[in-house]
Amino acid sequence: MTGKRHARKAIGLVAIASAAVLALSACAGGGATSGPAALSDEPVTLRFTWWGNDVRTANTEAVIAAFEAEHPNITIEPQYADWNGYWDKLATETAANDSPDIIQMDEKYISTYGGRGALLDLNDTGDLLDLSDFSKSSLDLGTAEGALYGIPVGLTTYAVMVNPTVLESAGVTLPDDKSWTWDDLEKAGAAVSAAGAGNVFGVQSWGFEEGGLNNWARQHDDALYNDAGDVVIKADTLTSWWEYMLELSESGVSPAASATTERQNAGLAESFLATNSAGFATGWASQLTALQDASGSPLELLQIPTSADAASDSAYFKPSMYWSVSARTAHPAEAAVFLDYLVNSEEAATLLGTDRGVPANDAIRSYLEPTLPESGKSVVAFLDSLTDVVGEAPPLTPAGGSAIEAIVKRYTEQVLFKQATPAEAAQGFIRDLKAAIAAG
Amino acid sequence: MAGLASDYDMSALGELRTLGQKKIAGGSKEKKENKAAYLFLLPWFLGLSVITGGPMLASLYLSLTKYNLLQPPEFIGLGNFARMLTDERLHNSLGVTFTYVFVSVPIQLAMGLALAVLLNRGLRGLSFYRSVFYLPSLLGSSVAIAVLWKQVFGTNGLMNDFLGLFGIAGHGWISDPATALSTLITLNVWTFGAPMIIFLAGLRQVPAMYLEAAKVDGASRWQTFVKITLPLLSPIIFFNLVLQIIHAFQSFTQAFIISGGNGGPADSTLFYTLYLYNRGFANFDMGYASAMAWFLLVIIGVFTAINFWASKYWVFYDD
Amino acid sequence: MTDTQIRVLGTSDNERTASDLPTPRRSRSRYPRRPSWVRPFLKHLLLLGTGLLMLYPVLWLVVSSLRPTDEIFRNPGLVIGSFEISNYTDGWTTLSHPFSMFLLNSTLVVLGCIVGNLVSCSMAAYAFARLKFSGKKWWFVIMLTTIMLPIHVIIVPQYILFSQLGWVNTFIPLILPKVLATDAFFVFLMVQFIRGIPRELDEAARLDGCGHPRIFAQVILPLMTPALATTAIFTFIWTWNDFFSQLLYLTKPEMYTVPLALRAFMDATSSTSWGPLFAMSVVSLIPIFLIFLFGQRFLIAGISTTGGK
Repeated sequence: MTGKRHARKAIGLVAIASAAVLALSACAGGGATSGPAALSDEPVTLRFTWWGNDVRTANTEAVIAAFEAEHPNITIEPQYADWNGYWDKLATETAANDSPDIIQMDEKYISTYGGRGALLDLNDTGDLLDLSDFSKSSLDLGTAEGALYGIPVGLTTYAVMVNPTVLESAGVTLPDDKSWTWDDLEKAGAAVSAAGAGNVFGVQSWGFEEGGLNNWARQHDDALYNDAGDVVIKADTLTSWWEYMLELSESGVSPAASATTERQNAGLAESFLATNSAGFATGWASQLTALQDASGSPLELLQIPTSADAASDSAYFKPSMYWSVSARTAHPAEAAVFLDYLVNSEEAATLLGTDRGVPANDAIRSYLEPTLPESGKSVVAFLDSLTDVVGEAPPLTPAGGSAIEAIVKRYTEQVLFKQATPAEAAQGFIRDLKAAIAAG
Repeated sequence: MAGLASDYDMSALGELRTLGQKKIAGGSKEKKENKAAYLFLLPWFLGLSVITGGPMLASLYLSLTKYNLLQPPEFIGLGNFARMLTDERLHNSLGVTFTYVFVSVPIQLAMGLALAVLLNRGLRGLSFYRSVFYLPSLLGSSVAIAVLWKQVFGTNGLMNDFLGLFGIAGHGWISDPATALSTLITLNVWTFGAPMIIFLAGLRQVPAMYLEAAKVDGASRWQTFVKITLPLLSPIIFFNLVLQIIHAFQSFTQAFIISGGNGGPADSTLFYTLYLYNRGFANFDMGYASAMAWFLLVIIGVFTAINFWASKYWVFYDD
Repeated sequence: MTDTQIRVLGTSDNERTASDLPTPRRSRSRYPRRPSWVRPFLKHLLLLGTGLLMLYPVLWLVVSSLRPTDEIFRNPGLVIGSFEISNYTDGWTTLSHPFSMFLLNSTLVVLGCIVGNLVSCSMAAYAFARLKFSGKKWWFVIMLTTIMLPIHVIIVPQYILFSQLGWVNTFIPLILPKVLATDAFFVFLMVQFIRGIPRELDEAARLDGCGHPRIFAQVILPLMTPALATTAIFTFIWTWNDFFSQLLYLTKPEMYTVPLALRAFMDATSSTSWGPLFAMSVVSLIPIFLIFLFGQRFLIAGISTTGGK
């Protein structure tokens, strides 16, 4: 074996590897577009990606067909995946400078992508995209550092969902959610658990995503992040949150830890609430329809309880998801036209329904409301009833903060399984979240 | 890379010994067959230099950078490796992975071998049984496996029904940190079909003449198995051992699907690759993930080297 | 599916006589200590028992695919009340393309991968097992090293490579690696099998004046049928179930394969259509199950049937 041949081979490998590495760096960097772009008469193809199940796929493809009929020179190529696969694929495509033009975006990721130059500032699209029917507060939900990285598609809020049938058979009256406290929830839950004899529980455990935590923090005059995106939540706030959860679990108001984890992993349709084995559950209001379909019995929405000394305005609206445009799209104008159609057209609204949440567009929401099924109407009514109560939305999840859901879940499990005390969990949570944001 | 190469030195020497010391019946020639060999290896060389080699070296470079997938990588030297030293979740994931490898691989191989011998010949309906025992392997990485496994080890699963017969109160095996890993090990054992198939194919290579001869000599079944079948099957056992260990160290899909992607509950099924994937993709920390990957490569390399070194004491080649 | 199960049973029974002919008589006549039926009976009992236990999740999948979605998790167990075909009809048609298209795409990818692996891996294995060449041990070490690095850190550079070549949304990134023998698992597998083949056989061929290509094609390949069958079956199953690379490289729904289509029934953020998902899972299991039933004939066609040396 000659050393020369070895060397030549090695050089070849290194050359290819460096080409790949160069490609890694070439594809990143700021967006290339500037100023409002003009529409083209030539055929244009846009790639459009979303996550969701078969129902969403069907209604989204119907919207695409309707749009293409109106705009014969624009072809929309759909691309869909399940939640986990969606983010893996989007990250890889973005790394290769090959991301789709129109992207369904989530609050946990919008700063990550937007702040790193992967998303177009939609303020730059001129009058091709009409946002006049959106309230300023809802557009603020998609704005970071002055740039509009996403249009909120639907609005939702964190709420308590209640199964009146379960309450009734336990002899518990529906609490008045205008004034109720966490103690009231615990008492009502205890009564349901007592009547449920181990099969039906009062309150389904939560703490597996950041919504409940955000609310709790706001009630305690605290917040997860400040406007600069630093983690500022106090350990005491977290400790009290987990202490309350642990108390419910230990007193039997909530199911045992292993049952909780099992149902949690199984998804919405198998949750205690969806299987009529819990009186109360916390969650995003937009999930009411899915939960109600699964449980087969009517559910109602209640405001989150507070504590006596809680800060007011703790409730807030969160976008269920956003429409974003890739910063590297070759056709920003056509992308804007498509977004305009998605958010403003009544035809699109009819086809899409509230699958992606109650529309954030005020005009479309009033247009759609009469056509909605009962569960949809009650979500709209609930959101409307909150308009006077909600406070300003919390700062967006900072870049790298998308790991928060996994972190919350992990520490909740540790607390419920008594591997960590609430205080230890609070310390660990802050440490891990800070590290995640620094690393990502 | 140099340190890595020396890890392999032992195995390479072992390889050399077994490959190189063979006497060829037609007279030993030291002549190399380079041209023919490189021709046969041409596709592999092409694949190595473009499809695997390049990306591997790229990931080696990335392990020395801070790379969030969306912005250009930024060189930070050995920073990622330094962070690994103090990363408790990483240490925990190593523990989980080692437990998994050292418990599930031996059981899975033993099951596979036992069933392969049982299903080799001499019984009616063999191909039906083979299919039955192989069927689980087809499902092993299906999206439906999370739900299916819960039917066995969930709160309302088969396992608890069975324990209920003896009045033992069950619990959610998958969702309890104390037992979650065992259910994944069971899942891996459940898919013993893959090694079983390889053993079956290997058993068919054992010349029937040897077995006949042993019978004529009055050897018992067990003696025949130990003295004839096992040695002749040893290259295949060796193959399964090496590859199953490599696979088990990289085990990902089943834990991913069953824990919903995050290795829960409370990190009890956080396999090394699952953690690596979460760092790389969910947390946009691909530089760190690459460093973790190369560390795993060294671990697997050491175990493979040990395997190759040990193989000269028990693996019998006929060539 | 119950129909299929029964049909499958039938086929396998017929097949048995063919595959087990080579060694029919010996096992019973040698050991006359017990009545001749006891041992086989016990074996059957053991095999059936374990088999049933192992198949429970599979049976549950089949049964659940015949239940309405909202009943799946309300009634556990295998007792079936209704016989709901609608999951199959819905699952087949509810996605943007009929499920047959995803089956066809998967089949194309799988076939490409099988041919690629069979040809390229067996060639590489022949070189490693039988030829002397410079740097052999190091190349072997390098080959094994390539399967020691987790795919998740390779996939991004690899994606960039294929994306720059303009091959995203084609089957090339899925098949080409197999054509270029990057699956070291199979190379190593075949090396081990070739080394189990007595060398006298190729020496004899060499004395007859055969070159390496002919020894490879006419002596080694026929003798390693079990290894080739194993490779084909494994490649089939792994590719059929592979999710990650197909997710990344296939973007247009008309290119989607079965694993991608199955996940299109799921949504962690709202609801999953379990009924259609289970039904299509069953549908997608049938081809691999049939391939296996059919393929084992080659798997067990070892050299023992030809008598060895």
